[in-house]
Amino acid sequence: MNEYRYDHQTVQGFILSAIFWGVVGIVVGLLISVQLWAPGANFAPYLTYGRLRTVHTNGLAFGLGVGAIFGLSYYIVMRLTRRPLLFPKLARAQLWLFNAGIALAAISLLMGQTQSLEYAELEWPLDIAIVVLWVMFAVNVIGTIVKRREEQMYVSLWYVLATVVAVAVLYLVNNLSVPAGLTKSYHLFAGANSANVEWWYGHNAVGFVFTTPILAMFYYFLPKSTGLPIFSHRLSIVAFWSLVFAYLWTGAHHLVYTPLPDWLQTLAIVFTIFLIAPSWGSVVNGYYTVGQDWSKMRSTYLTKFFVLGITFYGLQTVQGPTQALRVVSQLIHFTDWVPGHVHMGTMGWVTMVTTASIYYVIPKIHGTEIHSERIANVHFWLVLVGQLLFSITMWITGIRQGWMWKATDASGKLLYPNFVDTVVDNYPMWQARTLAGVVFTVGMLFFVYNVIMTIRKGRALEAQAVARSAPAAAPAA
Amino acid sequence: MSDQKLYSKPILFTLVATVTILVGSIVTMAYPVFRNDMNQKVPGLRPLPALELAGRDVYQRESCNACHTQTVRPLRSEVVRYKGDHAEVPAARYSLAGEFAYDHPFLWGSKRTGPDLAFEGWVKPSREWQAAHLRDPRKLVPRSNMPAYAFLADAKLDGESVAAHMRALRVVGVPYTDADVAGAPAAVAGKTELDALVAYTVSLGKAVDRSRKPGRIDLAEANPAAGNAEEIQRGHRLFEDNGCTACHGDEAEGIEGVAPSLVDDVFLEVKGDMPDAAYQAIILFGSDAKRALGRAGRPDGGMPPAELSDDDAWAVVAWLRSHAAHGAAEHPAEHK
Repeated sequence: MNEYRYDHQTVQGFILSAIFWGVVGIVVGLLISVQLWAPGANFAPYLTYGRLRTVHTNGLAFGLGVGAIFGLSYYIVMRLTRRPLLFPKLARAQLWLFNAGIALAAISLLMGQTQSLEYAELEWPLDIAIVVLWVMFAVNVIGTIVKRREEQMYVSLWYVLATVVAVAVLYLVNNLSVPAGLTKSYHLFAGANSANVEWWYGHNAVGFVFTTPILAMFYYFLPKSTGLPIFSHRLSIVAFWSLVFAYLWTGAHHLVYTPLPDWLQTLAIVFTIFLIAPSWGSVVNGYYTVGQDWSKMRSTYLTKFFVLGITFYGLQTVQGPTQALRVVSQLIHFTDWVPGHVHMGTMGWVTMVTTASIYYVIPKIHGTEIHSERIANVHFWLVLVGQLLFSITMWITGIRQGWMWKATDASGKLLYPNFVDTVVDNYPMWQARTLAGVVFTVGMLFFVYNVIMTIRKGRALEAQAVARSAPAAAPAA
Repeated sequence: MSDQKLYSKPILFTLVATVTILVGSIVTMAYPVFRNDMNQKVPGLRPLPALELAGRDVYQRESCNACHTQTVRPLRSEVVRYKGDHAEVPAARYSLAGEFAYDHPFLWGSKRTGPDLAFEGWVKPSREWQAAHLRDPRKLVPRSNMPAYAFLADAKLDGESVAAHMRALRVVGVPYTDADVAGAPAAVAGKTELDALVAYTVSLGKAVDRSRKPGRIDLAEANPAAGNAEEIQRGHRLFEDNGCTACHGDEAEGIEGVAPSLVDDVFLEVKGDMPDAAYQAIILFGSDAKRALGRAGRPDGGMPPAELSDDDAWAVVAWLRSHAAHGAAEHPAEHK
């Protein structure tokens, strides 16, 4: 256990950093949700909706998401290779650079420094810092796996490795730009190509930040916390390869009916529909794993996080392909439906699995138990209710607004020619969304409290152990 | 190679995974970069002038694209909503790839919390309206949720940085001349960020001349595609691909009670043919062109404008002519 002590502190450092940036990102999310129905809540120039929205998305994707991925991937890699990290100091340096980078990123976004590419807003100096971070991560993950003390690589390691290479390729290509000063650059690609490269990146950021590393956690922590083996190894293999193959073809489904050539849109739509298969490969594998003993849902508090998480992953990966179809896209594209979809993935699938994994890891590295299962259960239900309320309101809003944009009378005249009429109609729904966000946030605060109390408990135990061993050591000396 | 081997060799595994990931990336991301259909440019497209470019930079800085899209989809309700003043835009259109050839990056957006701005220069061309609206949106649109951008009026533009931005854009392929760059500081001198954003906003949609009116038809204009075998063939294809056959018949022979023949010597229900330019105008402007041609034809409506370029329309006319001549040679009795 002591062999791992230093690395476990690094893992915990990433987890706590992720939680900190997560709280920042969620609070900013609440503020921008209020700004949508109360424009007086904009405080120009730094705290306007436009600038804050990027802080919200980047804070949660890179701060919470990537921070947790760094920490939990390191934990999984150490367990599955049966050894500490190959470069412990490098991982610690990565932790500091990560926090400095996210802090600078937040400031630069508030200053309005943005490439205007979704999920790739950060300007080129920060892009370079992120590339350095990722190389540090890749070197440690690959190095540790190469020097492993376990012959076979378990499925979680495949997903971690795929994440490492895919994110590297995606990030490098989409951020190709020509600097026009320290805080401004122009995308190398123009118009249709700029759009196509960006959404190849953007969709696969979802694929390789919000999917593959989360699946790595799912495949490791579900069997660990339930004691049930993964149902089918063969299914994991088929699902893995078909997922990482098909994902990269689908970016243009974000550009249906734009001036992008039809063939590219159609190709993306076809592969998007195909993606249902590998996604559901993991869903089925998850269900059948727990299906070996459903009583775990009651007896082991973490089981329901994973089961609900994989359920939202399953719903997400059917809803997403449905949205790619032209007939659906023409109605819901550009409406609130899409943020509703994204938030089911992030607040349902990603949050459920990540928080459950953290609940598993934190007590483990301190050799103790969770502070309170009851608080974890309260957290679970609040997050679940908040997320459902959020997504469902957004879907209703999206369909209504899409319909209002299209509605014409018998002579072909628009029924709602003033755009603002179709916006005002959303205000009550947006207020409901803010309420949903508050419920979700309270749930997450219960989670944060629970994690901190568990760490305090762990530290107290360690202090006791030291105190006990000290007098025992004295007579011997 | 057995499964076992692949999953116990991390370097090999990583390489195989990388190749797997690259296949789709190459086909759908890298290969299109070099294709013509991804690199179109509308005729006469010009880079944004200095003030407008400074405005685009402000648009990016404030993430206006978080709430405003800049692409009108080819859906009827959308084309109608964003066509602007219909009198000015006889051929209401959707966004074309070629309009964005100098957009680094694209600003099509992904969410319409506010309206699309692709044709804003046609929809709301008034600089005064745009400036007042940016300063205080709710003064003009009482229940709007847009943030107020009055602070932009206090920030003066920095000419040198606009020139530096032009130089960077030149590196990625935007054809700014030395004179453009040298003239940038003077062009934005004394202007504010608000002036710039307004100038950019009212320039949107003006890359394509959507103001073409049938009033400008020059009947003496010769058909550049006439007699060109390749163009004739292309014209035939365009005729079939653009749904012309639905009303005018597979061979342009007309459909009784729906639309007239295009290969006889009757034009808009008057005996006697007209020059190619008249045909081209009808293709481009639809029924709107009838009055300009001095022949009323059927009372109203009927033919919609085709979404074709000038050259495409000439090619279709060239095919119609060649097809008519061909028909006349085969059936001389019907064409005395």
